[in-house]
Amino acid sequence: MESEVNGILVAAHELKAPLGLLRQLAFSLDYAKDKEDLQHIQSQMIDVSDRALRQVQDLTKIARLDDGLFEMEPVAVRAVCDDVVMELRHLFRFNHRNLEIDYCNRSRLVVANRDLLYSVIYNFCLNAMHYSDEETKSELKLSDKNGKVRLDVRDFGPALPMDVWRSLKNGWVKKPTSIAMRPGSSGLGLYIASKFSQYMNANVGAVRHRDGTSFFIELNPSKQASLF
Amino acid sequence: MIYVIDDDVIMAECITRVIAQRFPAEECEIFTNGIQAIQEINGEVKLIFLDILLDGPDGFAFLNELMSYNDTAKIPVVIVTSLKIKQDLSGYGVVKVLDKSTMKPEEIVSIAEKYLCKKPLHSDSIAGEAEK
Repeated sequence: MESEVNGILVAAHELKAPLGLLRQLAFSLDYAKDKEDLQHIQSQMIDVSDRALRQVQDLTKIARLDDGLFEMEPVAVRAVCDDVVMELRHLFRFNHRNLEIDYCNRSRLVVANRDLLYSVIYNFCLNAMHYSDEETKSELKLSDKNGKVRLDVRDFGPALPMDVWRSLKNGWVKKPTSIAMRPGSSGLGLYIASKFSQYMNANVGAVRHRDGTSFFIELNPSKQASLF
Repeated sequence: MIYVIDDDVIMAECITRVIAQRFPAEECEIFTNGIQAIQEINGEVKLIFLDILLDGPDGFAFLNELMSYNDTAKIPVVIVTSLKIKQDLSGYGVVKVLDKSTMKPEEIVSIAEKYLCKKPLHSDSIAGEAEK
């Protein structure tokens, strides 16, 4: 019960930021210098609300995980990555950051739910963008490791604190926890990724680097294609 | 020159947009972290809008740095944050704390008016100038 209340508080806190931002953007409409600036503000409002809506959708998905409503199926992991990159490329460009992709996995299909996998990759990439320095790149890499398909999202930002790294090493994150060295983070994205991964029988984890962090998910490859 | 230090560029742009419209002669510069801002700051900066939760060193670390230099110690600072700050930060040059979720553009204008010692342009006069 306590962790549930804590989760609600974290979710409320996480949603406060985009709502506050939308409020300021609405005020900004009166201060736009020309039509181009007005369009710029409007596109920012759409971006901010899209991100907030996605977070709400993810939270509602968590509530529905127990009902087993998300079907597991063979999913083309590269296509999902491509879709995420396509959706986020404007946001990365707007924030003067770059997202590079590197696909070197042989198994193209993984056992997953497309919606949940999309959310995990999206959260990792958004996190990488947020915590990377300006004019730096983030990397999305697909590879094969120990019979699994591994997706890494690397950022060049502050290192992940030991306690969060340890809790990830010991399994899935059980409740949202603020990440002290990553200000503004409630750990909600990591919690959502953990929940979705658990549902898909996948592992999530993190690797600490001297100049940033990689978050990864290891998925089971689908053997369906090998039947042909 | 006015500095706006916020890791959220959209929020920083909202502040600079208000200032640019009401005080067109003032130059605004956005920084997404305190390190870069403290490297470039000098005594010509008249006002700083500062977020607390920044990437890297936080706003309090920035305030400490600011206070430690002779030429920057007296620059007025406006904290713009969603944190509830109860302690008195006037000793750090903080002249006002604005809540990100409830602040209004008029508050930014009135602070800027006070510390830049300039009268803001009003919306009507701006519209009039645009028509000319």
